[in-house]
Amino acid sequence: MDLNYSPEDEGFRERVRRWFAEHPPGALDTLEQKKAWQRKLYEAGFVGMGWPREYGGQDARPMEQAIVAEEMAAADVPGAINSLALGLIGPTLIVHGTDEQKRRYLQRMLTAEEIWCQLYSEPDSGSDLASLKTSAVREGDHWSINGQKVWTSLGSYAAFGILLARTKPNVPKHQGISYFILDMRTQGVEVRPLKQITGSSEFAEVFFTNVKVPAENIIGQEGQGWELAQTTLGYERGGSVLARVTRHQANMRRLIEVARALRRDGQPALEDPLVRQKLGRMVVEVEVLRYTGFRILSKLEQGTRPGPESSVDKLYYSELDKRHQELVQDILGPFGQLEKGLPKELALNSSTMRGDDSTWAYNFLWSRAGTIYAGSSEIQKNIIGERVLKLPREPRADRATPSSTGG
Amino acid sequence: MLRNLAREFLARESTPRAVRAALLEPRGFSDATWQQMAEMGLPGLAIDAGYGGQGLGMIELALVLDEMGRAAYPGPYFASTVLAASVIAASGHDNQMARYLPDLAHGRMRATLALIEDAPLWTPSGVKMLAERRGDGFVLSGVKRLVPFAEAADLVLVAARTGDGADGTTVFAIPSDSPGLSMTPNVEMDRTNRTSTVIFEGVVVGSDAVVGEIGRGWSVVGPALRRAAVGAAAEMLGASRRCLEMSVEYAKVRQQFGQPIGMFQAVKHMCAEMLLEVENAHAAVYYAAWALDAGSPDAPLAVAAAKGYVSDASRKVCGSAIQVHGGIGFTWEYDLHLYFKRAKHFEPLYGDADFHREQALQLMLERASASEATKEPALAS
Repeated sequence: MDLNYSPEDEGFRERVRRWFAEHPPGALDTLEQKKAWQRKLYEAGFVGMGWPREYGGQDARPMEQAIVAEEMAAADVPGAINSLALGLIGPTLIVHGTDEQKRRYLQRMLTAEEIWCQLYSEPDSGSDLASLKTSAVREGDHWSINGQKVWTSLGSYAAFGILLARTKPNVPKHQGISYFILDMRTQGVEVRPLKQITGSSEFAEVFFTNVKVPAENIIGQEGQGWELAQTTLGYERGGSVLARVTRHQANMRRLIEVARALRRDGQPALEDPLVRQKLGRMVVEVEVLRYTGFRILSKLEQGTRPGPESSVDKLYYSELDKRHQELVQDILGPFGQLEKGLPKELALNSSTMRGDDSTWAYNFLWSRAGTIYAGSSEIQKNIIGERVLKLPREPRADRATPSSTGG
Repeated sequence: MLRNLAREFLARESTPRAVRAALLEPRGFSDATWQQMAEMGLPGLAIDAGYGGQGLGMIELALVLDEMGRAAYPGPYFASTVLAASVIAASGHDNQMARYLPDLAHGRMRATLALIEDAPLWTPSGVKMLAERRGDGFVLSGVKRLVPFAEAADLVLVAARTGDGADGTTVFAIPSDSPGLSMTPNVEMDRTNRTSTVIFEGVVVGSDAVVGEIGRGWSVVGPALRRAAVGAAAEMLGASRRCLEMSVEYAKVRQQFGQPIGMFQAVKHMCAEMLLEVENAHAAVYYAAWALDAGSPDAPLAVAAAKGYVSDASRKVCGSAIQVHGGIGFTWEYDLHLYFKRAKHFEPLYGDADFHREQALQLMLERASASEATKEPALAS
């Protein structure tokens, strides 16, 4: 077990650090600015690093991806906007797409010329995604789509979406789903921003009324959609593992400064043993997140694809974020809830390079999403219990039931 | 490799039946098992090859302790190999190491560390027992509590006060049959870890009994406590592994309401959370062990994170195990409590979770002020 960065890795880190120091992103308020930033990152070699070289990537090692992600987080600059395309949709196309599809779409994902969204969840199909009802009916040379999607990240920006829709209603629900590429500008597609408890709209609802999708836009075979959506594709995984740790550390450093400025019973809150215990707990838990990150990274470096045990990872970091945001609120008291009006010395970030001001309150609210999206904590525990520990599956009423009799 | 070796050995020699038999021995462990461990070189695992050991590191020691926790092995291994040998090795004095380490490495001699007095403190200020100068030597009087496997030890390392200041302690190596030294065994909740109260009544020692240097006892105790903290975390990890394994097995076969209880999400999710804690504890223990071996600047923080995290994690895992088992898990006859208590034993030792959380914060604050001083202008904006 060698957890040291090699001299080459350290040299690479030095170059990356210098690049970010020399290339501050500037204002990133508009979509065009965000796209331009990704293009700049791509040209510097920091986007799609793990993708195969023939599709515009660099076959980079997970360690190199991790270093770039760590340095981006350390410099407090935002990542590439086309995150779903880079992490999930592109890799799916690389493995399952036709040559025509790869030629048409992949390069423009990397340059952010076309933003992608993922059309998965529906109002009645959250944890039970396979019960989805959006339908695709074959009509000559195209499919006709009707239904509704929800919780679509980047939905308001996207030029294309990857769509899960039901093509066969009379078979068991996992078998009747297909995977499509959808041009979001097609007639009958309506996108409505979804306002969340944070007050902002990172997600959208998407409605389909007789939307025509060309037959060649199916990915893989008809009925193979569920299988494709389940594939864990690890090209970009190295990146996210340690960046999360770096962001937590940055927030923690700021929280410590704030605890020094904040007074409690006539002394800095930082000197209160109760506050210190809370901060100490955060330090310890983030350290452990870092060590588990090294473990995942060294598995990826050895070429092992993460299996169901990645549920352990997701369960830990999402629950950790929720726990830590509660501790932040405990330490800051009523100040923690201010979206505006917080004294500068208590603010989360008075001068990020981005120029936008995230708040403790926003982070607190946002942490509630992490244990719901991408498989809720309860779903992760089912996966761990059944697929890792091999505990008996729950009896389920829906396994063999055609979806048309009620999902 | 080493893990498999240790696991096979303990699976054979430290079965629950053997553990229960060893607990009936007068000193709470089997001499025959100790002899076999000595033949395998386990007591000298992390002792320098120049002093008769295997020359391996904290990672290997953690692997063995992890397995010992998993098997609830009762015996003086931790006291002699982790605590005492680490203190002596930390002295850096060739004559001291040459005098004790070969015998410890070959298991011919066993030692322990007498540190705790009236309060469990992991700083020099906890050491109040006096060692007074007399001629060339010292006279020691006082009471040391919770001394691990003192009855099995040929040699007692004891930290006593010889002066004031930030340290002011000195460590002495004293044969356990010295006049004036007596001991009274405690009854521990965890029967697999014997402890005693050791009483020093005017014990006379020469200056050659000093380990390390006079008045700088903490420079040998401190490093040993860091290793002991990681070792204790490894023990708790092992006990937690066993508790998880037993719970999952039981949840698959125990039927209630006409189905295995593991089918119920209330039980399944508890088991999933137990696995998460075991995986995290594993990452924390072996990172800290690696950091100590590599002399990484990360080591102090990694040690605090490991002991701070695993103390809580093992409490959760082993406690959940009893809950998953229900009534059977509360009986003396069923083996689960061996591992539950084994983990509990190490929870407060060498710094509990509160202690290590405070350590971790202090280290973070030091790091922050250090990086503040060396910040590059380009990144300071």
